[in-house]
Amino acid sequence: MAVLTAPRKETRRRTEGRPPARKRATRVPPVVLAFVLVPLLAEAFWVFWPALQGFYLAFTQWDGVSAPQFIGLGNFREMFGDAVFRTAALDTVIWLLLFGGLSAALGLGAALLLQQERRGVGFYRAALFLPVVFSLVATALVWQAMYQPDGLINKTLEAVGLSGLTHAWLADQDTALYAVIVPALWRQIGYVMVLYLAGLKGIDPVLYEAAKVDGATRWQQFRHITLPQLSSVNAVVISVIVIDSLRSFDVVWALTRGGPYHSSELLSTYMYSTAFQSLRLGYGSALAVVIFVLAFGVIASYLVRAFREADA
Amino acid sequence: MNTSAQSRRTFLAGAAAVGATALTSGCVASSSSGGKGSSGGAVTLQSNLSAPQAKSAMQEVVDAFNKRGGAKGSLNTVASETFRTQLPTYLTSATPPDLYTWYPGSVAESYARKNLLLDVSDIWAEPELAGYSDALKKLCTDSAGKKVFVPTTYYWWGVFYRKSNFAKWGVKEPKTWDEFLDLCDKLKSKGVAPIGLGAGGGTPWVASSWFDYLNIRINGAKYHRDLLAGKHRFDDPEVRKVFDRWSEALPFFDPNSTALPFQDATTGLLQGRTGMMLIGTFFADAAPKDQLDDIDFFRFPVIDPKVPLAEEAPTDGYFASARTGRKDETKEMLRYLATAEAQEIYLKGSSGTSLPAHPDAKDSGTPLVVKGRKLIENAADITQFFNRDSSDALAPTADTALTHFLSKPKEIGSILTTWQRDAQKIWSQ
Repeated sequence: MAVLTAPRKETRRRTEGRPPARKRATRVPPVVLAFVLVPLLAEAFWVFWPALQGFYLAFTQWDGVSAPQFIGLGNFREMFGDAVFRTAALDTVIWLLLFGGLSAALGLGAALLLQQERRGVGFYRAALFLPVVFSLVATALVWQAMYQPDGLINKTLEAVGLSGLTHAWLADQDTALYAVIVPALWRQIGYVMVLYLAGLKGIDPVLYEAAKVDGATRWQQFRHITLPQLSSVNAVVISVIVIDSLRSFDVVWALTRGGPYHSSELLSTYMYSTAFQSLRLGYGSALAVVIFVLAFGVIASYLVRAFREADA
Repeated sequence: MNTSAQSRRTFLAGAAAVGATALTSGCVASSSSGGKGSSGGAVTLQSNLSAPQAKSAMQEVVDAFNKRGGAKGSLNTVASETFRTQLPTYLTSATPPDLYTWYPGSVAESYARKNLLLDVSDIWAEPELAGYSDALKKLCTDSAGKKVFVPTTYYWWGVFYRKSNFAKWGVKEPKTWDEFLDLCDKLKSKGVAPIGLGAGGGTPWVASSWFDYLNIRINGAKYHRDLLAGKHRFDDPEVRKVFDRWSEALPFFDPNSTALPFQDATTGLLQGRTGMMLIGTFFADAAPKDQLDDIDFFRFPVIDPKVPLAEEAPTDGYFASARTGRKDETKEMLRYLATAEAQEIYLKGSSGTSLPAHPDAKDSGTPLVVKGRKLIENAADITQFFNRDSSDALAPTADTALTHFLSKPKEIGSILTTWQRDAQKIWSQ
């Protein structure tokens, strides 16, 4: 968090020597107040109020048409006995670990590989970043064509003599989840790479020169200079990855809709199908509350720890 | 100073008022309170017919309506899946679209019971609808005795195949289940996947057709409807019999049955990779028109000769929102849609494989359509389709159970238990 604290010191230094402006600062001009309150009201109406309604709906049984019926903790009790919820929760954890872990590792790897200015490196950076530009639904459609029984992947496997490995990738419960993670990863790696590239650019080259003079190997340079210097970027990357994992929906929905028979079900797809397909909006809202609590819990606990470490 | 304090107070009071309005207007319970749609302007026709031919045919119908003077209509085509999931939201919103393409029977009834559909009993007395069959009249009447639906077309399900391919393979249409299995055997020996399905890639509901037909052939149409209404259980021995029969045909299904959507499975049928396919005539909307002459179908084979032969013949048409602000204009459009003229325009523009609901409207007259009409007219009973005979909410439980069965037929015991449990949650709502 050194990056964050540095400008603060600078500001303090700049204000030194000015006459105290306390009195003037307390009187907020109406225009400023309007600039704060109007967006706040808009946010309250479009974001906070629906979110609060979602919390309320989690305690009701509602088919989207009749008036909601208050059932207390009934929806949450149902979750304990719901095998699909357990599958969705487990798949979400697998998704978080695989999608999160691999996109961080591969994004960092790509950034390290492409950080040096060489001829043509811009092309590779652009190529890796390109999938980020496409919408996930369009990405999913392209991958769906590749995963088809007579699609590119199976054709390639047959061409190289591995026809035993050909598969209905998205229709088999053993492979569906992993087949769906690939396009999500394909897209995320470029994004993470850009974050890490920015972080790597911020490392003072003098540190590496000094390390070289001291005879440090490449691995030692990476371990003792690159990684610690990237700690602030790591906090951003991990937050982004956790949020992206828990809100992953579009790619799964476009490719498998959580199927076949819930094998690629994430909490987000289960929430959607329960609420909008089975029209059990109360239970769907309860699932949304669980997703919110998980996302908020993971991010908050990680960030609190990260900031505490940075301050220490 | 004074002015500034005054203006701040005024602003805060205003802001509080806006906030209070926002809070009250956004209230959850407001969905159940009545609202009135905007009045004047064109009647919004929300359509789920998004296949290219069907969509342009719908536009032609709306254009013809607009040309004749009087009320005007505007077409808004929405992807089928989005339409289905958004329908409750459309119907409960304060300013809903006026008119909707959808289904009669239990699906319409579930909305009519909640007073969301416009009572169109008066237009059923008009000459345009006077000649409609009693069966259609019954289908479009809700449990309170009000007419809430205007049917325009219906179509049939059958086992479709290419005549040229059957001739090439030297096989004939089967009549009974045993003959059907023999046919499958022959096709398999020729290296063809005998049965195409298309229950993958967003169209898992196609698998329900096999469940529906096996159930109406084994247990009869009445049992089928009662089961879908929650009067029987999915883990009953009668339902188990359906899957025992299905297991006999399972080895003949295309291995890609749950990997391809029905549109791709249709291509497989047209290209001769699969031998036949149980499907509704809507598949022809996505098929090249020049290949339609080579397409034929046979009735789903007889399994138990004692069970009267029912057929699936879903009816399509329109219902209107009870909250429309253009009641008269909407009814005027519904009256037009019920005419022979409007239905003929639609059939001409689309693949033309449906049948018009109006007794005087001419169908496309192709041998396929003549055969289809005969099939329905001779049926002992008519069912709609799984989601139409049950509800939009119950359909996903069937999708999960049936695709599961297709991949793991041996787990049928636990599949049926789970299906019953999931269905119970929907019925108890």
